[in-house]
Amino acid sequence: MRALIILSVALMLFGLCWALLAAPTELFQGVPQRIMYVHVPSVIAAYTALLVVFVASVVYLWRRDSNWDRVAQASAELGVLFISMTLASGAIWGKPVWGTWWTWDARLTTTLILWFIYVAYLIVRAWAPGPRGARAAAVIGIVGVLDIPLIHWSALLLRTLHPQPTVFRAAGPALPGSMLVPLVIGIGAFLAVYAVLMVLRTRQERTLQILAESLEGS
Amino acid sequence: MSVIRLLVAKDLRLEWRTREILTTMGLLALLLVIVLGAVKSGPGGAPAAMWVTYAFAATLGFTRAFAIEQDHLTGLLMAPIDRSAVFAAKALTNWVGLTVVQLFSLPLFGALFTEAIWGRLGALLLPLALGGVGLAAAGTLFGGLIVQARLREALLPILMLPVALPLVIAAVGATAGIVDGLPLPAIGPQLKLMFLFDILFVTAGLLLFDFVVEE
Repeated sequence: MRALIILSVALMLFGLCWALLAAPTELFQGVPQRIMYVHVPSVIAAYTALLVVFVASVVYLWRRDSNWDRVAQASAELGVLFISMTLASGAIWGKPVWGTWWTWDARLTTTLILWFIYVAYLIVRAWAPGPRGARAAAVIGIVGVLDIPLIHWSALLLRTLHPQPTVFRAAGPALPGSMLVPLVIGIGAFLAVYAVLMVLRTRQERTLQILAESLEGS
Repeated sequence: MSVIRLLVAKDLRLEWRTREILTTMGLLALLLVIVLGAVKSGPGGAPAAMWVTYAFAATLGFTRAFAIEQDHLTGLLMAPIDRSAVFAAKALTNWVGLTVVQLFSLPLFGALFTEAIWGRLGALLLPLALGGVGLAAAGTLFGGLIVQARLREALLPILMLPVALPLVIAAVGATAGIVDGLPLPAIGPQLKLMFLFDILFVTAGLLLFDFVVEE
């Protein structure tokens, strides 16, 4: 655990320094392009978190092991955190580069809707404690992930029906190595931070449960 | 099948005697038509206004569907029947209720927004049915979940609307296409998306409802 914390902090510092100081400035977008080094890792961490919610929810309903429920809960909280970071960093990048904070692009719309679904998930968790709430949350966690392809598809339809001033991403698939390396380090750093927070949060919930059980017993 | 028919008949008879759900749903729908029409009436606004109305009327009506079972839900769940049959019956009743509201409000949308709606009633039934089934399936799953987790009914729209948004977006697109007089193949992707949403949520409801209502 300690090694994981040190690794995540080191990766984060190293990646940020590289992205902000050493990586070359993009020709057209200028300095704002460096937001990518935060934006892309947070969206990858967010989708990883939601996938973990899905798997943990399925296993929880199947096995009824409250450990899996805690994993789902912790991961959903982190998922909302990383989705929020994705939306915020994207908007901050969009203003100087696209000239607008928001546009109804398929990816943006999908991410926003997912934010709403998983905030509702957290509200259910907060208002319905115990196994009832856990089962309800598991169902939402499963349905929410199954909904992702449909949300994305519908957002694509939305755009074709209501043409917006379309602004596509400038970043092509061929990212030069001088940018790719700090990006990969950033992704590694965010996933490491996700892992650290997951372990801390599930441990915390586990301690809470042990405490509650021992209080009931006495 | 006969179990589902029995349960649906029971719910419909109950509703026929109290008319509680249809009255509240219908009045809210009427109110929304008037409000949306007063704010912005025009041919272009009709499809969006229709689906906003249906989605909100649905959330209001569906919260009642399980609330009327308050004291009897345990009895219903202890009956020697499959839980998925309970889900199917509730979803069907909800769909019937929503369809009634949809059909009654259509002429109003025609009067306040665009008369093109009156000329294309037949074709409009397709998106209305596909959208209604999806809203009913998702709403019944989440409605049962909220009642069983002892959550406030106000949570239903917060849960259901984001999840049902792809369905609503596709429904608005399909309805707009029909109102504009496009041939059906032109709105194929929208209809396909709605159909997939229906299949996904009917299946999810049948499979997951057992976990939702478990004591």
